[in-house]
Amino acid sequence: DALLGCHRSYRSRPTHGIGKFKYLLPKEVPKRRKEKVQMKEISEGTEYQYGDINIQMTSYDLCLVEHFAQYVHRLCNRLSIQVNESYAMPTKTNEVLFLEERGSKMQLDAVLTTHQRVVQIRGLSSTFAPILLEIIQSNQPEGVHLLMKQHTEADFKSRLKSRPELEELLAEMS
Amino acid sequence: IELEKSHYSDHEMRKLEEEEQLKKKKESLYDEDEARGKTVIMAQDLEEKWEQKFLRFKAAPRITDADKSNDRTSLSRKLDSNLMLLVKQKIGNQELWLLPQVEWQPGETLRSTAERAMATFLGDHIQAKVLGNAPYGIYKYKFPRAIRTENNVGAKVFFFKAYLQSSDLSQAELKADYLWVTKKELGDYLKSEYLKKVNRFLLD
Repeated sequence: DALLGCHRSYRSRPTHGIGKFKYLLPKEVPKRRKEKVQMKEISEGTEYQYGDINIQMTSYDLCLVEHFAQYVHRLCNRLSIQVNESYAMPTKTNEVLFLEERGSKMQLDAVLTTHQRVVQIRGLSSTFAPILLEIIQSNQPEGVHLLMKQHTEADFKSRLKSRPELEELLAEMS
Repeated sequence: IELEKSHYSDHEMRKLEEEEQLKKKKESLYDEDEARGKTVIMAQDLEEKWEQKFLRFKAAPRITDADKSNDRTSLSRKLDSNLMLLVKQKIGNQELWLLPQVEWQPGETLRSTAERAMATFLGDHIQAKVLGNAPYGIYKYKFPRAIRTENNVGAKVFFFKAYLQSSDLSQAELKADYLWVTKKELGDYLKSEYLKKVNRFLLD
């Protein structure tokens, strides 16, 4: 029968470990959590190249901002500009209260959320930069604010959260 | 834009719950005692209020007066496409429609020449921004035989692009005739060779 016919590869048999394949794959170094990123800028003499540039898009409308960020990212891919990262900043909520003085005092609340998307670009040549800016500007949807600025440490740190307990302990230690 | 796979928002959930509560009330009467903590304002009322507000709101018209009168000297026509400034200038003997042009002085960068051209035609305090130091296009032409000397055979014109930040040109003292035209209308005014070179770098 089929049950009696199967050969289990036991440890003493020569066929032990016949199905193993993981030793053939390339070794993966386990990822470290902390990212200490400090990129250098290149601005040579005649050949101007900007270092890291952040394109920040802010708006109240989530769909528009996301789609526009996707569009910018794909545009950079097609124009073979290196994109480091494209991330989102935390959303800010604003509560708008209308105080109507006519008749009964009513408070109409409106909750507005501001969304931000950032696309980080590297290696933009200065002859090409104004063209890119123009293309992006002319294709801006309504209600989306565009901001292009150079990447600084402060920008990088604004994404990280501060840990008050860690800071307290460090202060106690020193 | 995103219509698929979207969850119900808070407002919609509230509306659904209140509809169910209303239904229950109609069917059976003992819910009145339980639902003492009911809200004063129903979600349905809020929606109606918002709809009324929306109907009262009127968006600014896209086709402005200047479009109807086809007044080409004002900036508020053709709001969805880019407008270029054309000025009538005298070069040699002819008076031509050109993009604002100024001779380059040696020792000046090309970009500052462009900014000077803007200053001469639009007044001193313009909020126009030139992006980058590189020109967008060039146009070479040779002078007619009468003016040609040993050194000066012709001239090269470099084009720069600048963005107007604000549409407030009331202070501008434009002595010559000026027009704000779109890319398609350029063909009415410019010469063909010049036009070909200029068209290459203009986006619409």
